[in-house]
Amino acid sequence: MAHISNKPISLSFNRGTLLLAGIGCEQLPEISGPSVWAWDNRVGALRCDAIHYAAIRAALARQFGPSLSDEVPKPCGVHLHKVELPKLRPSQIEALEAWSKADCRGQIIMPTGTGKTEVALAAMARRKIASLVVAPVRDLMYQWHRRILAAFDYDAGIVGDGLSNIKPITVTTYDSAYIHMAKMGAGFGLLIFDEEHHLPGKCRREAAILSTATMRLGLTATPERSDNLHKDLDWLIGPVAYRMPFKQAEGSMLANFDVVRIPVTLNQREQATYDQCSRAIRYFILSRRKEQPGYTWRDLCKESGSDPQARHAQKAYYLKNSIESRAAEKLRVLEDIFRLHKGQQILIFTGSNAMAIEVSRRFLVPTILSHTRKRERLAVLENFAAGAFPVLVANRVLDEGVDVPEAKVAVVIGGQGSVRQAKQRLGRVLRRTGSARATLYEVVCENTKEVQRSRKRRRSDAYERPVHRRV
Amino acid sequence: MLTSDQSIVEFKAGRAITDRLTQSTHRHYVKYAERMLAIYRDGQGRQRRQLHREINSLFADEPDCPVRRIQAFCKLLDDRSIFRTDPDGKATKLRLDVFSRVTRFHPLVEKPDQLFEHDERKIKAQLADDLGLPWSEIEQGLYGDVMAYQPLERFEGYLDASALLSRYNVAQLQACLYRAESMTVVATDDLKTILRYAKLAKLLHDIVRLGPSKYRIAFSGPASVLRQTRRYGVNFAKFLPALLACKGWQMTALLKTPWNTSAKLNLSDSDGFTSHLPPPDEFDSSLEESLARKFGPEHDGWQLIREGEILHNHQKTFVPDFTFRHEDGTQVLLEIVGFWTPEYLAHKRRTLQLFRHHKILIAVPDKSLREGAHIGKNVLVYKTVLKLTSLMEALEKIRTEKNSC
Repeated sequence: MAHISNKPISLSFNRGTLLLAGIGCEQLPEISGPSVWAWDNRVGALRCDAIHYAAIRAALARQFGPSLSDEVPKPCGVHLHKVELPKLRPSQIEALEAWSKADCRGQIIMPTGTGKTEVALAAMARRKIASLVVAPVRDLMYQWHRRILAAFDYDAGIVGDGLSNIKPITVTTYDSAYIHMAKMGAGFGLLIFDEEHHLPGKCRREAAILSTATMRLGLTATPERSDNLHKDLDWLIGPVAYRMPFKQAEGSMLANFDVVRIPVTLNQREQATYDQCSRAIRYFILSRRKEQPGYTWRDLCKESGSDPQARHAQKAYYLKNSIESRAAEKLRVLEDIFRLHKGQQILIFTGSNAMAIEVSRRFLVPTILSHTRKRERLAVLENFAAGAFPVLVANRVLDEGVDVPEAKVAVVIGGQGSVRQAKQRLGRVLRRTGSARATLYEVVCENTKEVQRSRKRRRSDAYERPVHRRV
Repeated sequence: MLTSDQSIVEFKAGRAITDRLTQSTHRHYVKYAERMLAIYRDGQGRQRRQLHREINSLFADEPDCPVRRIQAFCKLLDDRSIFRTDPDGKATKLRLDVFSRVTRFHPLVEKPDQLFEHDERKIKAQLADDLGLPWSEIEQGLYGDVMAYQPLERFEGYLDASALLSRYNVAQLQACLYRAESMTVVATDDLKTILRYAKLAKLLHDIVRLGPSKYRIAFSGPASVLRQTRRYGVNFAKFLPALLACKGWQMTALLKTPWNTSAKLNLSDSDGFTSHLPPPDEFDSSLEESLARKFGPEHDGWQLIREGEILHNHQKTFVPDFTFRHEDGTQVLLEIVGFWTPEYLAHKRRTLQLFRHHKILIAVPDKSLREGAHIGKNVLVYKTVLKLTSLMEALEKIRTEKNSC
């Protein structure tokens, strides 16, 4: 239907939303296209989320023709002087074509170590439009920065880690994207979500919602989330365009591996404190349940503010945890592993920053923690890759996607029992490098909760064929 | 401000009640606050984690103190502290140096044997010799850039124990607002300040007049009309201290609980929270006082309406300083302008253009007039004080203009 009034109609970008001005609220039902509009009385215009830009602009243009002025900034093109990408493998080409065919909106699911980054770089080189790469942590963000520099000789902008330097190709983290997308949401034509399972969280999803980008690419090895929110990726990014099964990757690109569980015992003092804490907690909970049958840990936390007994039980619980993760015996086991694998590169994952620093101070080996700055990260990773550092200790920051070449031995001391973490950690050890078998050690305290967590870790299908042996 | 991990709030029958330490319920906390301040005041040179441990042990035998409250105190104390950071990257250099030197001795073992001969203690002692520093100092500096290991340099502190507790109470309100999806203020006074600070906090507003000089102002962000979002919770939190410094208001914030249900946080100026911001510009009220005194209840058929009136057109608002009403119904709004730059004038003119169907009189001190500045219609220039006679003249002029046309 034609627009009758001669007032100009304008579509503009406003802090992560689109404003359609020049139309009264009574005309709302006449707007063709998806019904995503809401009347905003505060500014006297129609408003919708920026994510709908691709869908509404065509519908609006059809309906209003030249009387519509589209003032939404257009992402600029990117001219790459150099494109130097390795030749894509057939599976990578298949993935790229499937995504292009899906109007450049969709997810590519490939196991760790099968070259997702190369597919994304190829997509950027092909689309030649302002692009934003969103990564889970700073290490990965910097890694993308390096890969873009190597592939295109392009010094990408960085938003995050205290920097806010927006360029036609920019890298950022999910947290920074959530904060800054309202401001930069109209600047990019292509969004790349690395480890896309981080996106659907209640807040982080706004990074996708507040952007006008018409092209979107999600990458992950493990899209599933225990809260089922991964279903929303279908509209936040686009439906799955390509999925490579894990079985196909194993054997072809990933190495064979062993999983070795090493139980450690607490020393006498630790065990005594540990048992005392366990008894205190059990006694407290049991005595509460006599009066309140459904008494849970959450109730305990709630009461801990006003009830000294509950607070003591809570403290006992935290003490138990810290005994588990920092048991002195673990450092001795590490020494044994170092002796056993003398001359090999070893990665160590700890459950806390404090434990990582403890290992580092004992053996004088480098760490990568969440607050390690860019220059040191690079120096440590490069030296580790070159074999100059025999060991690298990391807290959770290396869990996902950070390229660590040539590591054949990994040790997990402490950590939570989620399926995804296990897969990501295996991905680290299993990168294809020659024929040597990789080994993953799990150091867990015996007679503690950690044993249960270790069992849960092994339930993941990534652990289906491991060899279990005791040292 | 606190982090959401430090927020303590109880949800009861759809109401949010934040943790609050008052004279009547927590008189003994004044002592704790004094001791906490003393720990930081005497804490120069001590590591952040040591200070935190000490604050923790202060409350070891206090039955009424959740862990989060202690963590919140640590945060508020840290907020007023300067710790020695490592801007030159000394720790980084030391680490890379030490680790590189030690590589060829890897692994450092507890008990050397024929295969592995590098005794941990011996190698460390040798390193200390090479670097010319005692090992304890090297170990201290090795992670000197990690926040927990940084030593306190200076503590700017709080005025006294009750200032710390007041700050704590307001900080808990702010942290609770991180969960807020919208905020509504019903205001009778200080409208100008409320709107100005909301604008600074990047909030949008929607104004409804409830009665003479009583308004309901709904604050939210752009995306709030589309979906419920906690995106603007931080903006509400930033705005709160300004609101607490004002008078004549009631506030309701709509929150999401951790169980995804809704709850309300209700607050008003009579709840007795103390803002760390000063009350709105004293100038306004003292000027108002003196003008009201001079003017009296009625003057030549004119009445001075002391309560403010808001003119609003979407996000543009105009809150005049005074409203005058003549018995024939004529209403004139008076705005007293402190300065008079071309940019400000242009901005003011654009705003007034939106409200051109209202009668607005602008008073400007002549010392802030630029030479050759254009003085438009309805502009009253005054020397040091606004004289009643010239004001009456101007009001009459506007009134008769209306009658003549």
